[in-house]
Amino acid sequence: MLRRMALAAVLVGAWPALLLAHHGWGSYDAKNPVTVTGKILTSQYENPHATITVQGTDKVWTVTLAPTSRMRNRGAMPELVAVGAEVSAYGYPSTADPNEMRAERITAAGKTIEMR
Amino acid sequence: MNSAAPGFLIALETSEIGALIRQSVWIYPTANIAHVLAIVLFAGAIAVMDVRLMGALAGSDPARVVRGARRAAILALIAVLVSGAVLFTAEASHVALNGVFQIKMALIAFGIVHALFIGGRAVRALDTLGPQAPMPGFARFAGALSMLMWLSVVGLGRYIAYN
Repeated sequence: MLRRMALAAVLVGAWPALLLAHHGWGSYDAKNPVTVTGKILTSQYENPHATITVQGTDKVWTVTLAPTSRMRNRGAMPELVAVGAEVSAYGYPSTADPNEMRAERITAAGKTIEMR
Repeated sequence: MNSAAPGFLIALETSEIGALIRQSVWIYPTANIAHVLAIVLFAGAIAVMDVRLMGALAGSDPARVVRGARRAAILALIAVLVSGAVLFTAEASHVALNGVFQIKMALIAFGIVHALFIGGRAVRALDTLGPQAPMPGFARFAGALSMLMWLSVVGLGRYIAYN
């Protein structure tokens, strides 16, 4: 009985892991990274992730950053990503929203800060 | 904010309390940690209850074990719901439109209905059973279904972030 239940528990526990393995990096395309450079149009320094919109050369990108506590710990204070600041964000475009990308790292005011 | 969401969810997300949760450095991570810890306690209580219903832990008084674990599960579920409501409020309009979240909420509703009616009936059937008595088929079914539903709820909850 216990052995059968242990097996059942492993199988039930494994299926979300299989789904994750199948999808890899969630809904972001890590094979085609983009770099968005330009002026910050809007900035929300909020949890669960800070978000900015950036006037890129091709379009306005929504750039998803990191949780605010991690941003602060790494020196990305609200002023660094305030409206009007110049930023360069390297990251992965969303496969769901063509105007959104998730930043791996950003460079602003001469500082490069990892978001993960 | 996702403008395709129902108005009351947009109102919830854009409310002062929603803004406070997002703008505070500590409220969101604290609620997130509390949610996981509450789920751990809930899953532990559910596991004890459901394996006893399925016939494991023979030698213990089935009615006492299951009723005790059920009370612990109810308390833990309250903590899960409170911490979950904080997380939901921060991004209500986005999360509500996430298909995985919708399936999770439906399963939670089924899980609670199952616990009240089928689970309740299974618990009452244990009162006359001794420690070594084999579990009735109905109780085994109730325990297996409960475990499957609640583990699925937790799995789906984690998968919301990837959908």
